[in-house]
Parts: sequence; C-alpha cells; structure tokens
Amino acid sequence: MNKERLTRWLTFGPPFIFMVVFFVLPAFIMVAASFRFPGEYGGLAPMFENGTWQFTLETYRFFFSDFIYTEIFLKSFFIAGLTTLICIALAYPLALLITRVPKRFRDVMVLLVVLPFASNFLIRVYAWMIILGPQSAFSTAVNSVVTAFGFEPVPLLFSPFAVIVGMVYVHLPFMVLPLYTNLEKHDPILLDAAQDLGANAWQRFWKVTWPLSLPGVYAGSALVFIPVLGMFAVPDILGGTGDILIGNLIKEQFLGTRDWPFGSTLSIMLTLAVLAIAALAMRYSRKSLSHA
Amino acid sequence: MRKTSHWLWLAALLVYLFLYLPLTVVVIYSFNDSRLNAEWVGFTSRWYKVLFQDEEMIQAAINSILIAIGASLIATLLGTMAGIAMHRYRLRVLPFLVITPVAMPEILLGVSLLLFFIQVLHLTLGLLSVLIAHITFCLGFVAIVVRARLTGMDESIFEAARDLGATPWKTFQLVTLPLIMPAVIAGALMSFTLSIDDFVITFFTAGVGVSTLPLQIYSMIKIAVTPEVNAVSTLLMLVTLGMIVLAAKFDKTVLRGQG
Amino acid sequence: MKAFLTTEALRHREKSCKKPSVPLCLCGGFLLFLFSITALARDELHLYNWNNYISDETVVRFERSCNCKLVQDYYSDNEEMLAKLAAGASGYDLIVPTGNAVESLIKSGQLRPINKQLLPNLKNIDPAYLDTAFDPGNRYSVPYAYTITLIGYNAEKMRALNLPTDTWAVIFEPKYLKKLKGRVTVLDSQRELMAAALKYLGYSANDTDEAHWRRARDLIIRAKPYWAAFNASSYIKELTIGNIWLAHGYSNDMFQARQDAKNAGRPFTIAYATPKEGAVLALDSMVLHKTGPRPDLAHRFIDFMLVGKNSAELTNLIGSGNPNRDAMRHIDPAIAANRAVFPTPDIQRRLEMLMDLDRNQRRVLSRMWTEIKVR
Repeated sequence: MNKERLTRWLTFGPPFIFMVVFFVLPAFIMVAASFRFPGEYGGLAPMFENGTWQFTLETYRFFFSDFIYTEIFLKSFFIAGLTTLICIALAYPLALLITRVPKRFRDVMVLLVVLPFASNFLIRVYAWMIILGPQSAFSTAVNSVVTAFGFEPVPLLFSPFAVIVGMVYVHLPFMVLPLYTNLEKHDPILLDAAQDLGANAWQRFWKVTWPLSLPGVYAGSALVFIPVLGMFAVPDILGGTGDILIGNLIKEQFLGTRDWPFGSTLSIMLTLAVLAIAALAMRYSRKSLSHA
Repeated sequence: MRKTSHWLWLAALLVYLFLYLPLTVVVIYSFNDSRLNAEWVGFTSRWYKVLFQDEEMIQAAINSILIAIGASLIATLLGTMAGIAMHRYRLRVLPFLVITPVAMPEILLGVSLLLFFIQVLHLTLGLLSVLIAHITFCLGFVAIVVRARLTGMDESIFEAARDLGATPWKTFQLVTLPLIMPAVIAGALMSFTLSIDDFVITFFTAGVGVSTLPLQIYSMIKIAVTPEVNAVSTLLMLVTLGMIVLAAKFDKTVLRGQG
Repeated sequence: MKAFLTTEALRHREKSCKKPSVPLCLCGGFLLFLFSITALARDELHLYNWNNYISDETVVRFERSCNCKLVQDYYSDNEEMLAKLAAGASGYDLIVPTGNAVESLIKSGQLRPINKQLLPNLKNIDPAYLDTAFDPGNRYSVPYAYTITLIGYNAEKMRALNLPTDTWAVIFEPKYLKKLKGRVTVLDSQRELMAAALKYLGYSANDTDEAHWRRARDLIIRAKPYWAAFNASSYIKELTIGNIWLAHGYSNDMFQARQDAKNAGRPFTIAYATPKEGAVLALDSMVLHKTGPRPDLAHRFIDFMLVGKNSAELTNLIGSGNPNRDAMRHIDPAIAANRAVFPTPDIQRRLEMLMDLDRNQRRVLSRMWTEIKVR
C-alpha cells in the first residue's frame, strides 16, 4: 500500500510541484492584479496608498456594464469553433491515412506534418500574405470565378477569410498529432469484423472508427480551440478593419492602454469561460465514452 | 493491410499541399533578389551570405534551438508524468493545473512570470527564465495528448503486468511507455514547435542580451522582414530535420524494431 | 527514417532501457551550459533599442573608440518596452524611447539623470528639440532622431484619381475614399490615429476633451468601411508592391517604401507629405535606465552619437529626421531637401509631440478604440 502511494506521488508530484511554483503562484499575482488600479504611468498602482488598501471591483463592473466586450467574446468563440471544425475536417483524413500506410512510412509522414512549423511563425504568415495578396495567382483565380458568376471581385487579404485560413494553418498540427496518436492504436480487426458483418465503408467509419477516436478529437479540439482564443498575431497581420478578437483586446490592455487590471480581468473571464467549456466537454466525453 | 480508398489519399494530399504551399513560398523567397518579402524579382544567394555574417541572428537561432530542445525534453518528461497521473488516479486539481496554462492568454502568462521571477524569486532574467516559462506552457500540451492516448486503453495489460510481479517502474518501462510512445513523441514535437515559435512569453522573460529568433524577427516587423529571415527559417527546418534523423539513427533499438 | 513513432517498434525497446537515458543526459548538460554562459561579464554596454536604429558602421566605430562591446536588445513598440520595464526588468544601460514614453519613465522614477558635463557635443542639438514638454530642461533625455506621422502614397495613382495629398481629408472623407476603397491602411495605434483625426477636426493632438474624442471617433468609424486594414507592420511592403495606394504611417517607413520601390524598378513612385492640418512629431531620445550597470559607457555612447557624422549615418540609413545641426552637412542631399523629413518652419509650427495620458483617460480612450474596432 505504502509503495502504491509512493508511486502515485512520484508520478504526479514533479509536474504538480512544477505547475504550482511556476504557474499557480505567478498566476495568482495577476488574478490579484484584476482587483487593483492601473499605475498612473503603467504597471500597477501600489496596493497600499494614502493609508488605505487599494482594491476595487471596477474592472469587473466595466466589463459587465458594456455589451461590447461580451460581443467580442462571442465572436471569438465563433471563430475558434469554426477553426476547430475546419481543423478536424482537414486533419482527420490525413491522420487516418497515416495510420493506414506501411509502418516504415508513418514517421516520415508525421514528421512532414510538423516540419513546416520549425520555420518561423511570422514568416509563414507572411507567406500567406503573398498567397492571398491581390496580385497572386490564387487570388486572381478565385476572383475570375467570382466575377464569372457576376459578383464584385473580393479582396482575400485583410479579411475574415484570411484570418480563418491563418488560424487553421497555424493550429493544424495540434489537431493532426492527437488524432494520429489515437487512431494509431485502433485494432484493424474491429474494422474487419464490421466488414464481415456487412457494414459498408461509411458505416464502418461512423460506427467504429469515429466513436473510438473521440478522445483524440477532444484532445485535438482543446489544443486548437483554446489557443485560437488567445491568438492576436494572425488577426493583426491578416485581418481587416473589423477583425478584432479577445486576444487582440487583451494585448491592447497590456501593450497599448497600460491597463493591466482590465487586461487581467479579461484574461480571467476568458480562462473561466474556457474551463467551463472544458468541464462540460469532459463530462460529455465521459458519458459518450462509456456508451461507446 | 486494409485497402485504402483513393479519396482518402486525395484528401490527405490536399492537406499536405495546404501545409506546404506557404512553406514553398518561404523557401523560394529566401533566394529572392529583393529586400521585400513580397514578389519574385530574381535569383540570388546573397541572403544566405548576409545571414552567415549576421552574428546576432545566428546567436539568436542557436538560443532558440537550445531552448526548444531543453523545453521540449523537460516538458515532455513532466507532461508525460502528468498525463499518466491524470489517467490513472482520479485527481481533481492536476487536470486544471494542466489545462489552465493552455487556456490562459500568453500575455498574461508572460507578465505574471516576469513579475514572479523578478519580484518574488529575485532571479536575474536570462536563458533559464525563458526555459522555465516555455516548459510551463508546453507541459499541458504533452499531458493532454498522453492522456488522450491512454483513454479507452485496455487496463488489463497493466494489471496483468502487476499480477506477474512487475514493480511499478518495470510496468512503466515494459508496458506503459511503449504503449504511449507515439503520444510522447507527438507531445515532444508539439512542444518543440511551440517553443521555437514563441514570441510573447519570451519577450517578457528574456534577460538583457538574450535573444531568440522570434524576438529578433518581430523587432524587424516595422522595417520589413527581409529574406534573411526566410533563409534562417529554411536552415532551421533543415537543422530540425537533421536532428530528428540523427536521433532516430542513434536509437539502435529502433533499427532492430524495423528489421 | 526509422519507425520510432509506432508502438510496434517500441515493444522491442525493453533491452535498452537500463542505460541512462539520452534525454536526461542532454537535459543535465544543457542546464550546465545555461549557467555557464550567464556567468560571463565583459566591458559591455546594453542598449535597448528599435531594430535597425543605428548603422553598423557607427557601431563598429563606437566599439573601437570605447574598447567595449555594444549589446543591443530590441523592441518594436514603446509600449512593449514600457510593459517590460514596469514589471521590473533591469540591466539596460540605455534606452531610446519616444517622447511620451520618456515622460512615463521619468514620472515613474525609472531614469537616471544625465550628467551634461560628460556631453560636450550636446551643443550640436538644434534648440528647437531641447527643453521639450516631456522633459523640461533635458534632465534625463538627449534627442536622438525623430519621425513625423504623415501620409505616404502611390504618386501616380493619386494623380490619376485626382486626389489631394496635402490633407488628412483624403484619409477621412468618404468623397475621396470612395475612389480608394480597400487601398488605404491606417496605423494600428490608438494615439496616432486619434491624433490624426483630432488634427483634421482642428483640435490639438493632445486634446483630452471627451466630446472632441467622440467626434474624432465618429469620423474614424465613418471612414473605416473604406480602409483595408489597421496596419502597423506591413504597409511599407504593401505600398511598394502596389496593393495599397495610401497609407497613414511614419516618415521613416515611407522613406523605406520609396527606396524599395525605386530599387525594385516599380512603374510608380512612393511619395509622402505632411498634411497641412499638422501632424504628430515623435522625438526619440536617449535615456539612462536606473538599473544600468554602466552609466559611464552610456554617457560615452550618447556623446558619440551627438557627433554630426555619427548621427547623420542613421538618417542616411533610414531617412529619419535629425535634430543635430552638425549632422546636416553629412546627410545625403536628397534627404536633406525632403520637406517631409526636414519640414519648413511653417509646417514645423503645426507639428505636435504626443503627451502621455493619465490612467482614466487611457481607459476612456481604450473603450472608444474597442468600439472603433468592433463597429
């Protein structure tokens, strides 16, 4: 029994302690910051000043008194959701294919998914600017189709479309890898059995592969959906005049307005919303897994 | 081996095309005879020459690679432990500790770590502070993938190993680790790319005179990111590829596994 | 490539597991390496600067003259630098912030006063750039270079469309913008864009009256549908390749765009002009951070940069405005004659430096900015 507890501690202790020291404690400083006043010249105002403690709920009042912030939240969740769905649609066939090729090719194919991401983020996004720019071959091709149907040519760069493309591109490997690691462990015998029972390819996928792959889908979705919410560089570079997301709003508080307390409040709201969604998803996934 | 449908091949090929289209642009434009990363003018190799004389950029690239290796190794180690612990024991706190840094906007993480390093730990910022910060945000990614791999796995193998008298360590070595290895490696690869690309958190936690590639490149954003950056990106990909191939070569057991 | 990712292969791993693991050794060695490189210290001057804001030749000559090494860290925005310093980052000897950031650093007590005795070349600075509102008497700051926030444009396109290029109206008035839809970018900066709108409405760039701000906001929201993007980073490139015809931006950047277009042999020229309503002048100054370990070297650097030739090299490199009278004879005549870089006294009178806002004003402005972005 004692040995069992030791094992337990050895497994969960080191990451736990690391996260408590280097995440919980620092995060606590910023949670506290949301109740403080911004410094007159940036940073935070002193906690104790003029003989009183300086704490306030002002930033929270500010947040809820104005629908504009909730609006940006909703919009960001929509964009994140859309990005996640597109990532699933793109990553699934790829991950599935990788599990079906002979073993010696699998690693090469996984590696090929990750390799582009060893180059620099900014330079990849700049490459999209070239591809989506009004003079590019891609842009001309799209617009010749658009005008053929009698519509006005559309600008691809500096548009919500460009933001989605950028978001999907940047986060795709974080969907492919969890999906692959999940699909790779499926036993092909299950599919053979299904086939023997007369299931066609589509049924085999929906009744066998898809339910079994759900943990991978959930993990991938978490790793795409959540980071998209905090991302500001993609809308900054590829977006047009209306493409502001929560990430941009939060960045603006720290690197524009010097309003750390409000920046913290926004971040806390975001984190809480994400955790709530994650908790719901976890509940749901447990249920669906026990059914599967 | 099951027969793979042509549609699947086609879909996968299109996704690879999507992944490699911008990358091709990056590589081609590293040979572009124009300061601008915008349109093709003519072939030149001068950006590579510029790069090889740019000590700052090379030092930054080396720092980036070292930090990425260090952060991905340590984050993978800790993240794997966290993933296993989350799967095996019904823990209430750890899952939140692991997912919250993923959910937290990176600016907040950066500022809070900076405040913590300076005002609580009185640590002089340097490469070490960057390394710690990177481990913090990579750990969750690894843990989530490892846990997803373990979910739904047949528990009986672990029990069988224990019943046969294997110590917990032996069970881990002989049963768990081989089973989760694809997830561990996927986690390491994700950590590597996250670390090597991070700008915001690195900006806040890097010390005086310590630069990484993203810091170097982002500071060029105002005046134009020249093809020198394409050149360094191209080389970085080659180096990464080389390192992975080498790592695979070194591991003799893998060779045996293939035979 | 070997099958190192598949479970199959790893079932064969067991025999190798007794060896100390390679990753662990790597980690250990790596940590040792980290500690060893942080321990080194030489005669070094740490400059926290904008990228490409000093010419390489100048650096080489300075390093030779002081027998030390100039180590630069970069920021691309004043606010980035302020945020990092506000959290307590330390060890920078010298910083080159813009006026209002200097003000913020002075007021938050982060700067070390300069010793003018050590700066005999301070006399070279044009008095017009001394004794500024953000640092009266220049106790903390020495002017380095300036930029003007103005409009840059594709000269041929603007002529063909018969559009004016000497007024903010072309950025804000729908009657002009109609011809430019999707071809205009404005700076992604609350202060700069508001300043342009305020100037166009006839107010001061530093006006803090909320009613005036609301008018400026409405002006911006009305013009927004015609703009392609709020852009702080890529308008140089977009102007040069001809995707964007009109951009609100910094004079340095327009200089760069003009050079690039010329070098690339474009069939058009990029020109830039200061609108007649006036504009923002951003004066960057050298300041000493309190935590810098080498104020002696920092003073040497400041005095070195005050030498006309050294200062002129920066202007020749990036087309920045130069507050140094002694530099004029070293400056490329084409730049020296450019009225958008060295304004006539008439225009100079209508240039304003931005002052810092207090925390309540910042919140109000931020709220308006969010509205501008969302609407």
